[in-house]
Amino acid sequence: MNKQEQYEEDLLRKFINPERIEKAPVGFTPKTMARIQIETQEARLKPGFFAKNRVPLISAAIIAGFIVIAVLVPANDADSVGSVFWQYMQNIKITLPGIRDTVFKDSIIPGWMIYALAAFPLLAFLDKALFGFFHKQE
Amino acid sequence: MDPKSDIFYIGQVLEGKINAYSYIVDRHKDNAYNLALRICGNREEAEEVAQDAFIKAYRSLKNFGKRSSFGTWLYRIVYNTAISLVRSRRKGMLTVEDFPADAVDFLSFSKNEEEAANEYRNSLINFALQKISEEDRGLVTLYYFDDLDTEEISKITGINKSGIKVRLFRARKKMAEIIMKVEKKNVFLP
Repeated sequence: MNKQEQYEEDLLRKFINPERIEKAPVGFTPKTMARIQIETQEARLKPGFFAKNRVPLISAAIIAGFIVIAVLVPANDADSVGSVFWQYMQNIKITLPGIRDTVFKDSIIPGWMIYALAAFPLLAFLDKALFGFFHKQE
Repeated sequence: MDPKSDIFYIGQVLEGKINAYSYIVDRHKDNAYNLALRICGNREEAEEVAQDAFIKAYRSLKNFGKRSSFGTWLYRIVYNTAISLVRSRRKGMLTVEDFPADAVDFLSFSKNEEEAANEYRNSLINFALQKISEEDRGLVTLYYFDDLDTEEISKITGINKSGIKVRLFRARKKMAEIIMKVEKKNVFLP
């Protein structure tokens, strides 16, 4: 340390009194403990992961179910599965308006994707409605 | 195990005895508040920062690695919390003319000259601290007020030892300049 640095060090030491530590205000410990108690109680009351995320979890389960069914159910082979669900799916074909595939004639997009696309806004609406419903309850 | 050590009380808290944490708060509150106050320069904010730090430490008590002491670990939380707060509310820089004190101010609310001199010195140091960066305020507090060595400060701040020395050198220089300027302006010799 050169002379100038030593002078600066001494000056600072003269002004800084290590014994003059600023004490925490009165009631600091009880206030802190009260905040911790509140937090602990809130943590206990907090809904669990499944309760908190029920809407996306239910939606994900439904979508996963659809995907599994789409993979497992063979096209045009209802007899081999014979499920009620497949019967229902076939009925959908009848009840839904037919789509002329002139636009997608040469495309390799599977036919069910049209329905999937149509289902998106419907699912979005459903999601919004469920969100509103559950939040209203809370 | 020493029944009064931090580790003992931490063990109690982890067993579910929340109130044992109050012993830890009581033990470290002044140092935590002091560090927060020197960095923030504001009592209300310092109290909030110190409380937040204790709560953060409580939340992470399970993850408290016993590599360092609880005090060092808590200091690190206080240091980071205070710096984040100061950065979020950057104010305009003060000038020497902003130092509000003159001899009469301190003598008017002190019992005697000695107390007035102490108050003046403390105010001037706090003023000079506000003129350096928030990180450097923390370093100066830990080095000069808490008398920690650079190795301990390095553990708290995450800055390497040579970096701490350089920063302390610059901070010291700047603070000394400010103190001298104010002393020239206010002819008050404690």
